[in-house]
Amino acid sequence: MSTFPKPVPDYGSEPFWAGCNEGVLRFQRCAACQKLRWHPAPICTYCQAEDCAWETIPGTGRIHTWTVITHPVHPGAVGKVPYVVVEIALDAQSDLRMISRLVECAPDEVTMAAPVEVVFEAHPDGQQLPLFRLRR
Amino acid sequence: MNSISDRACIVGIGHTEYSKDSGRSELKLACEAISAAMRDAGLGPGDVDGIAKYTMDNNDPIEIARCLGLPSLRFFGEVAYGGGGGPVGTVMLAAMAVATGQAKAVIAFRAMNERSGRGTPRFGQAMVADTAAGPMSYLAPYGLFSPAQMVALAARRHMHLYGTESRHFGAIAVACRHHANLNPDAMMHGRPMTIDDHQSSRMISDPLRLLDCCLETDGGAAVIVTTPERARDLRQKPVFMAAGGLGGGGWNNRFMVRDIDALDNEATVAGRRLFADAGISHDDIDVLFLYDHFTPMVLMQLEEYGFCARGEAKDFIGDGSRFLWPHGDLPLNTSGGNLSEGYLHGMQNIIEAVRQLRGTARTQVQDARYAFVTAGNAVPTSAMILRGEA
Repeated sequence: MSTFPKPVPDYGSEPFWAGCNEGVLRFQRCAACQKLRWHPAPICTYCQAEDCAWETIPGTGRIHTWTVITHPVHPGAVGKVPYVVVEIALDAQSDLRMISRLVECAPDEVTMAAPVEVVFEAHPDGQQLPLFRLRR
Repeated sequence: MNSISDRACIVGIGHTEYSKDSGRSELKLACEAISAAMRDAGLGPGDVDGIAKYTMDNNDPIEIARCLGLPSLRFFGEVAYGGGGGPVGTVMLAAMAVATGQAKAVIAFRAMNERSGRGTPRFGQAMVADTAAGPMSYLAPYGLFSPAQMVALAARRHMHLYGTESRHFGAIAVACRHHANLNPDAMMHGRPMTIDDHQSSRMISDPLRLLDCCLETDGGAAVIVTTPERARDLRQKPVFMAAGGLGGGGWNNRFMVRDIDALDNEATVAGRRLFADAGISHDDIDVLFLYDHFTPMVLMQLEEYGFCARGEAKDFIGDGSRFLWPHGDLPLNTSGGNLSEGYLHGMQNIIEAVRQLRGTARTQVQDARYAFVTAGNAVPTSAMILRGEA
C-alpha cells in the first residue's frame, strides 16, 4: 500500500526529526531573545541572532483549525480517508503552530480549541512522525 | 513619478478555446494566444520585444520568440508562486519593462495542458513524490498535499472567527457559473448551478466542497502591454494600468496554509497603495475580477483588499445577487472566472477585464470605467486597478 511521503531531514531540521525518533518534540530556541521558532530556520525569525539551542518542548496544545479530508488525492491517502489534518497551537509559545494529523478520533469529534497531545507513529520507512490525539 | 500608475496599457488580448483536452502542444497554445493578442493590438513581430511568463509555465520565451518570428527580445522575466502568483504579476513585469523604456511592447501569457495532463500535471491531483523536503516536509507526511486541502484549513478558521458559512462561499460559485452561462466560450456554459447544487456537492476537504474549487483546463491566454504613447496609434482602445502591486511575506512560507489570524498578508501588502495610486475609492470600481481558485479565498479577498472590514465579507456578499450581471452593483468575474469559464490561472479574467473596459464584453457593465483585478491569494500575489478611457 502506498504511503504518505516520508520527510527528508536536512541541515536545518535534523535535530527535530531525531527528536521525533526519541519520542519528543524538539524545537529551536534563540539564545539571544529566547523565542521558540517553527519551521526550523538558520537564523532567529524574531531577532536575527544565529545562536540557538534545540530543546524539548511540551507535546501539548490546542486545535487551531482542521480539515476532514475525504477525497484521496494522493495514492497514500487511498484507504485512509476520511482523515483529519490539524493545525496545532502549541502550549509552549502563543504563536507557535504546526501542521499534523489527528488520530484516535472520529472526524465529528473534532472541535475548535480542543486540547491535544502528541503521539508518535512510525512512517513505514522508520521515521517517527509527531501526530496528535485529543486529550480526554 | 513614484508608481506604475498610467505608465502602461493593455492593448491586445487573445486566447484559445478552453477545453479538457486541447489535442495540441503547450507551445502551440501559447503561440496561438499570443498571435491572436498581437493581431488584436495591430502589432507585428518587429513591434514586440519582451515576454513575461509564469515561472511554472513550461514554454521557453526564446522558443516562443523563434516560433512567432520576434527578431529581438529586450525583456524577459517570470513570476513565481504557482498559477495564482502569476496573472497580474506578469502584467506588472510587462508594465515596468515598458514604463522604464527597456522594452517597447511586452507579452504576458499563460498556456498549459493542465486538464489533459499532456505537459502540465493536474493541480487537482497531489504531488505524488515519495519524499518531502524543506517546507513540504512539515506538511505532506501528515497527508496535507493539495491546494484545496490547505485552503480548507483557512476556510474553517475564518468560519470560526467570523461566522462565515458555506453558503457564502457558494454564492461566489453561483455568480461565476451565472456568468459562464452567458459566455458560450466558457467550459461550464449550458450547465446552470444553484446554491442548492453547491450545498449538495460532495466534500473534498471539509469545509471545501467540489463546487468551491476551480476548473482544470487546457488552453492559452495572452495580453500585450505597451506605453500610453505607443497605444495611441494602435487598433484598440487602450486599457490603462491605474495602479498595480505585488505582495508577499514571511507568512507565505507554508505553501497555501494561511495564517488567518494575522492582520497582514500577501493581499493586504499588494493592495496597500492601490487605491491611493489610482486616485479612486472602492466605490469607483465598476466590475470585480477576484482570482477564484477557491471560493473562500475570493471571500477573503473582499476583506483583504478593503471592500469590507475583516470578518464582514459574509454580510457584504449576502445571497450573492450583487455579483450578478446585469442587475448587481458589483458584477464579479463576468465571463465565469477560474471557477466556471476556464482555469488559465487568472489570465482569462484579465482578458475579460479588458473587454469590459473597452466596452466589448458579452456581459457588458454599463459605462464600466474601473476594474479591480487580482492574482491568487494564499500565495505571494498581485493586484491591479485597470481603467478604461472615458
